[in-house]
Amino acid sequence: MKLETLERDTLHAPRPEAPVTTILLVEDEPVTRVSMAARLTRLGYRVLEAENGRVGLDVARRERPDLLIVDWMMPEMDGPTFCEAVRRDPLLKSSQILLMTAHDKPAQIAEGLVRGADDFLSKSASKQEITARVLAGLRTSRLVRVLETTGDELKSSMLQLQNKQAETEADLQTAARFVQSLLPPQGSPVHGIALAWEYQPSLALGGDLFGVMAIDEDHLGLYILDASGHGVAAALRSASLMTFLRGENILQLLGSYDPEKVLSEANRRFPLSADGEYFTLWVGQLHLPTGSLTYASAGHPGALISSVQSSSRWLTRSSFPLGFDPSAQFTNDRLSLKPADRLFLLSDGIYEVPSPDGELWGRERFQGMIDAGKQTSLSATIASCFSAARGWQQAQHFPDDAAVVGIELTGGPDGTLNG
Amino acid sequence: MDKTMDKTAVLDLPEALSRADGDQDLLLTLAGLFLQESPKEAAAARAALGRQDRAGLAAAAHKLKGSVMTICAPRLFESAKRLEELGRRGEFAEASPVYADVETHLAEVHAALRELIARGFPV
Repeated sequence: MKLETLERDTLHAPRPEAPVTTILLVEDEPVTRVSMAARLTRLGYRVLEAENGRVGLDVARRERPDLLIVDWMMPEMDGPTFCEAVRRDPLLKSSQILLMTAHDKPAQIAEGLVRGADDFLSKSASKQEITARVLAGLRTSRLVRVLETTGDELKSSMLQLQNKQAETEADLQTAARFVQSLLPPQGSPVHGIALAWEYQPSLALGGDLFGVMAIDEDHLGLYILDASGHGVAAALRSASLMTFLRGENILQLLGSYDPEKVLSEANRRFPLSADGEYFTLWVGQLHLPTGSLTYASAGHPGALISSVQSSSRWLTRSSFPLGFDPSAQFTNDRLSLKPADRLFLLSDGIYEVPSPDGELWGRERFQGMIDAGKQTSLSATIASCFSAARGWQQAQHFPDDAAVVGIELTGGPDGTLNG
Repeated sequence: MDKTMDKTAVLDLPEALSRADGDQDLLLTLAGLFLQESPKEAAAARAALGRQDRAGLAAAAHKLKGSVMTICAPRLFESAKRLEELGRRGEFAEASPVYADVETHLAEVHAALRELIARGFPV
């Protein structure tokens, strides 16, 4: 076989700009060294020569040759000692070494391998065998170098990824702060009404959002929405629906914050997304002078009324989520609130939390917490719900967005709501 | 060394040329180098023998043997190899006559190489 053919077929074709393959030959006996160097040069390699192991190590460190061919018996530093020195050297330790010997006794071969040689080259070997062993050594050397380069590239990619992730994390935190800034301030949005809420998104950015705002002198608008899906996409869609639900926008579009009209309009404007994502939405309007609450829901299960005199009850009516049916009609329900009554809007993430055994905390237990909290402050009641849910799942973070919004009619000094 | 090679030949020129990949100039260079280097190894071997230095004798004979392998001188190779073994074993009494053989065979090889350098390769 022609050597050129062997090399081309066996090794990767070198790129034109690729450096010449370099072989370091360490041999004290000049006749053998010159003969071997001439042969390797004829094969197209750049050959470096050293007359003993000590000089060989210096040349190897300086030139990082692709292959080291080292004589066994040498003064100063013999072949096996040279191999050991290479393996201890951080810069050279992955070098390929052919140990050259005039004899090939199994015990010596074993000793050479143990002390760091990769292969043996008998001085009496045929030209074909020498060529084949050199090629095999170079092939391994290239693979080792590719591996080392790949390892370095992996490390640097990992660093880049970590930096990228830190940037993304920072972006998410910024976006989360923005979304939080859209949520209503705690306290008293209008006279006679107390507002408290707690919100814990499952990720930095939540998809469950809510609003409580004065529409005009007599009306308070309320909503809670839940976007299907999680993460940034859900949060963006939620923020867009939230923008639509702003009081000024709805008044301009519809003339009032009538819940069934708001839902119909939202249903028209927020169809199912291309990948099947949708919203559920509960909208209410409280007439402040009378305490009359008008509300409607598009598939959202989360409103609970709690009165001083009676047990709490859910304000539910089965309906489609937004976007399922463009012609869907939503119907208002009405309810009269009295002073000290509490209205809770909540996302199902607060009660759909599993215990370590897999049992859900559930709506009934949540409702029980609300009933038990009648004598405590609104914010304390909500806090106890979160604390009970966390205790149930024995974890601090919720698997889904968890939100509880509480409204309490505090009443005016003259007993009217809008006193 | 090639087992089929005639162990009694002074110089196996075809084999030496083949080991030099057919490069006559290279072989002449190697011959010149051998003429220059081999007396040093022979002298080192003699000195080691004189002071009964096992390692020194084995190392010198080994080094000589390596260069002899390259220029393909079968008789000298056999005696150098024997000298290396005796040196390794410290059998100095037996090593003395073998060293004499090495000197004789080395002189033969030198003569053959000088002739090669002077007259060139036989056509």
